Amino acid sequence: MDPEDDQAPADPLALIERERANLVRQIAPDPRLMYWPWGFAWLIGFTLFFLRYGPDGRVYVDLPDWLPLVVLMLLFIAAGITTGFAGSRSVRRTSGPTSRAGRLYGISWSISFFSLSVLFGRIANDLSEAQAGLLWAGGMVALTGTLHMAGSAIWQDRQLFVLGAWTSLINILGIAAGPGWHSLIVAVGGGAGMIVAGFLGWRRLR
Amino acid sequence: MTETPELDPVIHAQARLRVVSALSALRDDDKVTFPWLQESLGMTAGNLSVHLRKLEDAGYVEVTKTHQGRTPATLLRLTRRGRLAFEEYTAALRALLDPGASS
Repeated sequence: MDPEDDQAPADPLALIERERANLVRQIAPDPRLMYWPWGFAWLIGFTLFFLRYGPDGRVYVDLPDWLPLVVLMLLFIAAGITTGFAGSRSVRRTSGPTSRAGRLYGISWSISFFSLSVLFGRIANDLSEAQAGLLWAGGMVALTGTLHMAGSAIWQDRQLFVLGAWTSLINILGIAAGPGWHSLIVAVGGGAGMIVAGFLGWRRLR
Repeated sequence: MTETPELDPVIHAQARLRVVSALSALRDDDKVTFPWLQESLGMTAGNLSVHLRKLEDAGYVEVTKTHQGRTPATLLRLTRRGRLAFEEYTAALRALLDPGASS
């Protein structure tokens, strides 16, 4: 027997908890990589929308009219690549129901966003610029909230449900307040919500 | 603390307790690849293999050789028997620590 096998029972229990936490940390994607890129994309992108396309057509900062959309799209692409990379790396570390669920969940995000894009792209031309902007942003934020809530059921993660419900709630408030206000509410409430979720998830794993 | 007969000798060795504890964090039917288990434990590949073989011989760990794409991969999980043994081991530990709680 190794000398290290002889130890007081107080140590094995601590050892068990440490090794369990280590493995979870090893196979779970880093919550900071999963949430922060989206949180900052919403915070920066929708703030630019608010400044350029404020409530009742107000222009708070005279940015080029194409700038907010281009910045938002670039930030979304960067966030999508980051989370796609971090998520698939995590999925490959294990095999079985959880890994399969992760893969399907990731694909669900891509397909559902694509299908809403096709729909909105088709009907947005018939709307005013402000209404079309609200349709795009409100629809995508609603889908994000829904997928987070569905994700909470898959991962048995209450915190993810809170994030999804919060995102849905501020989206409804923003839509009710109208174009312009929606951008501000989603930028601050939604962006901050994801940054906080990333921080809490990271602290829980640490 | 001296050795106690109720503690499963297969698990009651620090290295194997660490392996079984780490694997117990997986959900039922999930498997982890060898390199990530190794990195999580910070053990050498040789040392980990030795202990995995003992756990496999006891019927506690299932070792699956497969391919991920073209790369050969070794997947590991606790068997139902291994999970049960781990649960009994932790229950026995807790009872030893706090005999009043179980009576």
